[in-house]
Amino acid sequence: MSQTILEAENLCKFWGGLKALNELNIEFKDKQLHSIVGPNGAGKSTLLNTLCGAYPATSGVILYHGKPITHLKGYEFCRTGIGRSFQKTNIFHNATCLENCCIAAQQRIGGSFNLFRKRSTNRKIAEIARSALEQVGLGARADTKATEVSYGEQRQLEIAMVLATAPKVLLLDEPMAGMGHEESQTIISLLKELKKQYCIVLVEHDMDAVFELSDLMTVMVDGQHLITDTVDNIRNNPLVQDAYLGNDDEVF
Amino acid sequence: MDTSLFLVQLLNGVQYGLLLFLIASGLTLVFGVMGILNLAHGSMYMIGAYLAYYFTTLTDSFLLAFIISGTIALVIGIIIERFLIIHLYKRDHLDQVLLTVGLIFIFNATQSYVWGNDPLGVEVPELLSGSIRLTDIVEYPVYRLFISLLCLVVAASMYFTINKTRLGMMIRAGESDRAMVENLGVDISKLFTIVFAIGVFLASLAGIVSAPIVSLVPGMGEHVLISCFVVVVIGGLGSIKGAFVAALIVGIVDTYASVLLPQISSMSIYLLMALILLVKPQGLFKN
Amino acid sequence: MSIFANKSEKIFIYLFFAIGLFIPLFLEGNTFYINKFSTIIILAIFVMSLDYLVGRTGLITLGHAMFYGLGGYIFTILAPEYEAVNFWVYTFYVMLISGFIALIVGLIVLRTSGIYMIMITLALAQMTFYFFADSIEYGGQDGLFIYIKPETSIFGLSFLDLDNETHFYYLCLLSLFNCFVFFKIIMNSSFGRVIDALKENPDRATALGYNIFHFRLIAYVLASSLAAYAGYLFALQFGFVNPSMMSWDVSATALVMALLGGLGSIYGAIIGSFVYEGLHYFIEHLTEYWMFFMGALIIVLVLTLKYGMAGFLNNLSGGKRS
Repeated sequence: MSQTILEAENLCKFWGGLKALNELNIEFKDKQLHSIVGPNGAGKSTLLNTLCGAYPATSGVILYHGKPITHLKGYEFCRTGIGRSFQKTNIFHNATCLENCCIAAQQRIGGSFNLFRKRSTNRKIAEIARSALEQVGLGARADTKATEVSYGEQRQLEIAMVLATAPKVLLLDEPMAGMGHEESQTIISLLKELKKQYCIVLVEHDMDAVFELSDLMTVMVDGQHLITDTVDNIRNNPLVQDAYLGNDDEVF
Repeated sequence: MDTSLFLVQLLNGVQYGLLLFLIASGLTLVFGVMGILNLAHGSMYMIGAYLAYYFTTLTDSFLLAFIISGTIALVIGIIIERFLIIHLYKRDHLDQVLLTVGLIFIFNATQSYVWGNDPLGVEVPELLSGSIRLTDIVEYPVYRLFISLLCLVVAASMYFTINKTRLGMMIRAGESDRAMVENLGVDISKLFTIVFAIGVFLASLAGIVSAPIVSLVPGMGEHVLISCFVVVVIGGLGSIKGAFVAALIVGIVDTYASVLLPQISSMSIYLLMALILLVKPQGLFKN
Repeated sequence: MSIFANKSEKIFIYLFFAIGLFIPLFLEGNTFYINKFSTIIILAIFVMSLDYLVGRTGLITLGHAMFYGLGGYIFTILAPEYEAVNFWVYTFYVMLISGFIALIVGLIVLRTSGIYMIMITLALAQMTFYFFADSIEYGGQDGLFIYIKPETSIFGLSFLDLDNETHFYYLCLLSLFNCFVFFKIIMNSSFGRVIDALKENPDRATALGYNIFHFRLIAYVLASSLAAYAGYLFALQFGFVNPSMMSWDVSATALVMALLGGLGSIYGAIIGSFVYEGLHYFIEHLTEYWMFFMGALIIVLVLTLKYGMAGFLNNLSGGKRS
């Protein structure tokens, strides 16, 4: 049985009166791909944003390897090993693909306060960045400007940047959003590889992909945890089908 | 400081605060609805004052000057919005700053060309020129009370307009959700023109009514503009209620500081601002 | 790899400093023009520091002149009135103290951003303006005079006499060159990588684990103490300091010069300063109301020339925008 890396206890996130996350309990294990599904507005993105420190939790605790990290500042989450990708492509458009990953890698290697060392002379950073690009299959695009690669490649770059920070946990927010079938296939086979090494939390609307990839699935409704189970059990669970059919016409 | 002096200073402070509110509300309204920071806002205060001088001298009637100057200010506001500000809606803050700095230069040069650089003054209109007796020994000029009253009337009508009328509804919607306003079928470009013209009008109005109690000098606009920034920063950018409270605080602090702490009097409001920012970086009334 | 971002930058810098080196020979002791050039070069250092802050770091300030003025005041207050102090030692003091002040100010203003930061930097600069304008001790509106200029010896060897206009000109030119090289080095450094990232996308930089506040603070302190250095040179050239050095329009004009040259291009600061001052000089001779035309020029500039003269030169030389 693999080890629990990240867990949330009674996690709440309120926006004024709106309870985006309500007393949520969930845990994520190493080397597993755990997807979060649920109708629109169920709080999936809020959960990811809270787990990575972008939104401070209203109450509750986030534990990383059993230690509470809820009090950390936004930028410190990444340093503990929680990397996240964004729903909307969020890369540095003016830089090359390699430079995008270098920015990510440099945070881990250090030297960011060095005013005089030429950035291109740090071999170690460049190596990490290059291997992250190769891992997602963008090795050939290293020197191309991020604006000039295709949309699908930008989504891959998004993941490569997270990998370059050497995370233990990957929080992926709709990595396949807006992709065609072929591009999605690239990401699916990439994620299959990645889940051998990382704890992955996936929020994704492409249900075929979710069923193909997931080890565990959690269904959320109205900011609350409905059920966590294996793919097969979820598929046949009448409760889940109710939750979807009752709230939204989005069916898997 | 004895009680009567204290009272006079309080009235002065409130009057100055209300005047600042008049200017700052225009600045904050334009920012809240349109997302534009108009640095030339202070110049409109200056232009208002100089127009009041010009037309008072020409017509011999402050009331007439008041009406004509106010109308001209509205027209200037519409022209600036239609021809210049309209290009800024999709630009960043820096472009707003630079373009409105350009406007300041133009207004200052115009002022200097038309009216020269010597200080000028406007006489208090005869009807309001007296003083009223507050206590046995203290008198207070009627005109200053008139300014306070006028500002309060403007504040009240702004409150009414924003909360009770259709225009106000559009303004409030514009502050929270621009896309929604457009979906409601409101002509957003017309709304922007109106709001900007109102903003300019408020600044000029303050200039017109202060003309009889200040001396008209080059650079008076920038001085007022920066005081308004202090008001808006303390009150919370975009919040008219915040501007009202902050303007009164700033007016009173500034007035008392000049009596009690003359060494740091011109710095006092900035120190106040720095202190408030340390505690509340978003101002007292975050919008 | 060279420090230049593109070909037009390289050509401009070589040309500028080559001409700059020889121009005193052609002016043959015409001190009016030598002084004029020194002033513009000092201004270019100031504008360059602002351009780094606004164009490279993305922090828009309208209070940069505060540090320009402080540079002059720090020297004048610190140095004994009738004794020649060492220029290099005082350069160190001026930059250290102004850097420390920038650290404190930065802790306040960098907690905010965007429009807020614009207004707060302006208000704090105004506060400093009033502090000096109202201070009897520091000469009020008239400011303070520098009676004796510093000497410039290093280990007993002196090359420059600051009372000599040509010598002072070369000191300014050297300072500008050092300033340019310094900015180019930090732009290409590991630090510069983070600055580039947080300018383009601060949220993503935070998500990658950077505390962007620290980086902004360092950039702010660097740019501010270089602005103070420029103000120190200005004070030495004219032999006095007064509050008008930190008036809001000094900040605003510098911003216009940075825009004119091409924001974020660094070398554009030199072009911007020279073009603006050239136009100023030219229009001022035609009409007393030169501000009207400058204002109109600024508006036209904002509405048309997005990448400044540097972008224009770069297009001419067939390069891509960097």
